Amino acid sequence: MTASRRLADLHDVELAALAAAGGRREFGELVRRHGSSVRGLLRRMGADPASADDIAQDAFLQAFEKCAEFRGEGTFAAWVRRIAARLYIKRKARDARFTAEIEDGEDETVPDQAGLMDLDEALKGLSEIERLCVSLCHGAGLSHAEIAAALNTPLGTVKSHVKRGLDKLRARLSPEREAYGRPADVRA
Amino acid sequence: MSAPDEFDPYIERLFGRAPALPDAETFARRVEQRLNTGTRFRTFALGAAGLVGGVIAVRETVAANLSFNLDETSAGATRLVDTGVAAAAGQTQGVIQTSLAGFGLDNLDVAGGALAGAQMFWVTAAILIAGATVVVTRMMQEI
Repeated sequence: MTASRRLADLHDVELAALAAAGGRREFGELVRRHGSSVRGLLRRMGADPASADDIAQDAFLQAFEKCAEFRGEGTFAAWVRRIAARLYIKRKARDARFTAEIEDGEDETVPDQAGLMDLDEALKGLSEIERLCVSLCHGAGLSHAEIAAALNTPLGTVKSHVKRGLDKLRARLSPEREAYGRPADVRA
Repeated sequence: MSAPDEFDPYIERLFGRAPALPDAETFARRVEQRLNTGTRFRTFALGAAGLVGGVIAVRETVAANLSFNLDETSAGATRLVDTGVAAAAGQTQGVIQTSLAGFGLDNLDVAGGALAGAQMFWVTAAILIAGATVVVTRMMQEI
């Protein structure tokens, strides 16, 4: 019990340093803290729950091997999410159908729900590629150039996908933003 | 026109909110298990590959008779190495059997198999080297 409390008191950077020295218990604490964040991102990127968990596990195993590289610039969760995002893209790229699926498919028609709509529901209204690009950009923290390189897609195309995706999210989430006291978007 | 600089941080905050997944503890334990298994396997594979590689190197060096025109000495040394290999084969079988027990496979009897000592040694050597190559290749792919 005392050991668990000590672990819970440590900052992510301290835990990562101990994990880099081979501390598997310390790394386990990091997984407990951030596992859901990584798994959630992968599901938002489009992975089914089983694949998301598989990839998330692999991402954490890679993170353990590279723990010494985490220096505290940004959060540990963000660092692992980037690893997970890249793994997801690699896995999908092995599927020959992946590039064929990266097309602007038809938007799923989501009934216009006045009131609250959380991010996961709002993402369902995006096409697969828009969802992927927005998740990579704002969920995994990749730059547009990094996304373009990872997806082997022109930079301008990535920027379009991100912009269209954000526009749709803005439209779907606007009522929720007002509920949180944010000013409504002012349209010119 | 909407204000993207207000919306982008908002979206990032939403992405940053982790969903409450009920099996989070199970997931963490699975990762820890894989960490522990991976470490044991790597240690075993690298150790065994190193041992086998070393014996092969000695054997081949002695048998090569490169430049000293020591045919008889080389042949004698080769016989000595082969005797050592046969002895090592027995020890290797024991090591493998013990290691398999560590993975819960102690019912797999490699010592009583059809292949005799030295043959078993070389077959095992080939398998271990192939296995070590796969491990290293996978690790390099994931870097």
